[in-house]
Amino acid sequence: MIIQVKNLKKTYEGTVPVKVLKNINFGIKKGEFVALMGRSGSGKSTLLHQLGLLDTPTAGEIIIENINLVSLTEKQKSQFRLKKLGYVFQSYALLPELTVLESVFLPLMLDDIPKKEYKEKAADMLINVGLGNKLNHLPQELSGGEQQRIAIARALVNDPLILFADEPTANLDRESSLTVLKLFRKLNQNIGQTIIMVTHEPEDAKYADRIIWLRDGVIEEN
Amino acid sequence: MNVKTALFLAITSIKRGNKGTLAMTILIMTLAYVNLVFISSIFGGIVQAINSQAINNQYSNIVITPNINDTYIKKSHARQYLLAIPGITGVATHYVDDPVIEFDKNSTGENIEKGRWTLKSIVPQEEEKVTNIYKSIVAGSYLKATDRDQIILGKEIAGGYGGDLGYLSLGVKVGDQVDVHFSNGIKRTYIVKGIFSTKSTQVNQSAFITKKEMESVLHVHNWSSEILVKIATTGNENKYIKEIRQTGFKNEDIKKWSDLMGFTAGASKSFDMISIILGVIGTIVAGITIFIIIFVSVVNKRKQIGILKAIGMREGTIVLYFVIQALFYGIVGVLFGISLILFVIRPFFIANPLSFPVGWVSLKITFNIIRISNLSLIGAALIGGFFPAYRGAKESILNSLWG
Repeated sequence: MIIQVKNLKKTYEGTVPVKVLKNINFGIKKGEFVALMGRSGSGKSTLLHQLGLLDTPTAGEIIIENINLVSLTEKQKSQFRLKKLGYVFQSYALLPELTVLESVFLPLMLDDIPKKEYKEKAADMLINVGLGNKLNHLPQELSGGEQQRIAIARALVNDPLILFADEPTANLDRESSLTVLKLFRKLNQNIGQTIIMVTHEPEDAKYADRIIWLRDGVIEEN
Repeated sequence: MNVKTALFLAITSIKRGNKGTLAMTILIMTLAYVNLVFISSIFGGIVQAINSQAINNQYSNIVITPNINDTYIKKSHARQYLLAIPGITGVATHYVDDPVIEFDKNSTGENIEKGRWTLKSIVPQEEEKVTNIYKSIVAGSYLKATDRDQIILGKEIAGGYGGDLGYLSLGVKVGDQVDVHFSNGIKRTYIVKGIFSTKSTQVNQSAFITKKEMESVLHVHNWSSEILVKIATTGNENKYIKEIRQTGFKNEDIKKWSDLMGFTAGASKSFDMISIILGVIGTIVAGITIFIIIFVSVVNKRKQIGILKAIGMREGTIVLYFVIQALFYGIVGVLFGISLILFVIRPFFIANPLSFPVGWVSLKITFNIIRISNLSLIGAALIGGFFPAYRGAKESILNSLWG
């Protein structure tokens, strides 16, 4: 198992505490492409945020490479996110002031890779996602599908153990969505990239090896 | 903390961000810097004008007066002894009296204006090396060594020429005759040879006759009531006072000009204090301005901060990214500010000094003012940039991502 989730709980405290995840347990093997599905409010995005270290669970364990991520310090979490995890968000999450190439080499720069190497690696990655001719464009000069492919290139440039995608096709037209999903499938099949994707769309989930269904914070079907 | 990435993001943000906002921010920083330097410099200029007036027209650098038990310094060769000390560039010996000066306006004896003022004797050539009275003549002319029945009056005695104390003055013009009743009872009549105007009201309330004339009235020879000593570099007075003592002035009272300033010394200190207070306020305002600019930037880039944290950027690097931008604004503000001060404002005030009661006031820009202002603005930028950046970086990733 590349990721093991044990008794994971997440409660949003407030005047009325909301239990979003209730005792979640599952595992994902290396190289699996898993879709997290469920109705709105089922907890699928919250689960992805906990797995991706974007949020801290109320209780439970998330074990990746024999490390319980919940016990890491903030600095260790930053380092783990940088070196081991990649993210693709629904809204692309690109920095408008960075060019396509800069957006992609940013994680490598953060990892102190030499300049020549990070530029080459980022350019190669962009060629792989079909943006080799748009290296010096700014994100706003590109279509939604192209912007999402920049985000995918950025997420993959550090060779992450796991790629997390939070409704990556939600803002895209069908054609762009298919391009993104086919790219995920290709990465998964060709390089064995482990992918965990939250989606609403049953069509999207067809590209995954496995679907984990959530309902009211518990796994309904795995 | 990854300095290289923080620097890269900051430079990119400045280069590709909104140019109008950038220009406005730099303008604000430049004006904040000019404000800091200008206030300190103008007060420095006022203090300098006060001091210059005292040195150039009243006290010179060092004043030697007789011991409290004596009326005169009874050293015939005092001037020669003092001029032998290297670094002393001028020595002026004065007799001082407080006579009543009268002016019979209509020469009928019915409309006599009079008052008691300070009358000093001078040797004109000696005096020119010590004070600037000879440059301050506004009517008539300066005294010559051979003049015996002539007097020059300050504008507050003569009246007119924009004097502050017109109600006390005699209302005389050059060529009029005045009677001087010396304190030893002797009365002499003098023709007004010249009227002088300095920026010191105190100096303008004095009159001068030649040393020869005064000695004939007081029946003394080669003594003096006070000796003014001019030195090459103002600020070294204590060193020269020591040397003067060693030359033989053991019992005389020797003071530097600043000891004799009285209330004006207090005014100088007050100006320094006001300058410091306004400087601190200016620095705080600059700091708050930077704070607001960076705060707005952090709020606008909240989502970007979330993205940066999500891809593994540490909080320290994010803080540094914003602090570098703030420092950039501060440093560019300093550079533009210095250029504006040195190449525009300073030349303008040199060409058009302000007329203050204490003298012509220009900006006194010192290295110290520049240094303190540089540090203040850059420090304000650093602190003003740090807090909003720290707050933004500390926010949770999801809160930032959701904006």
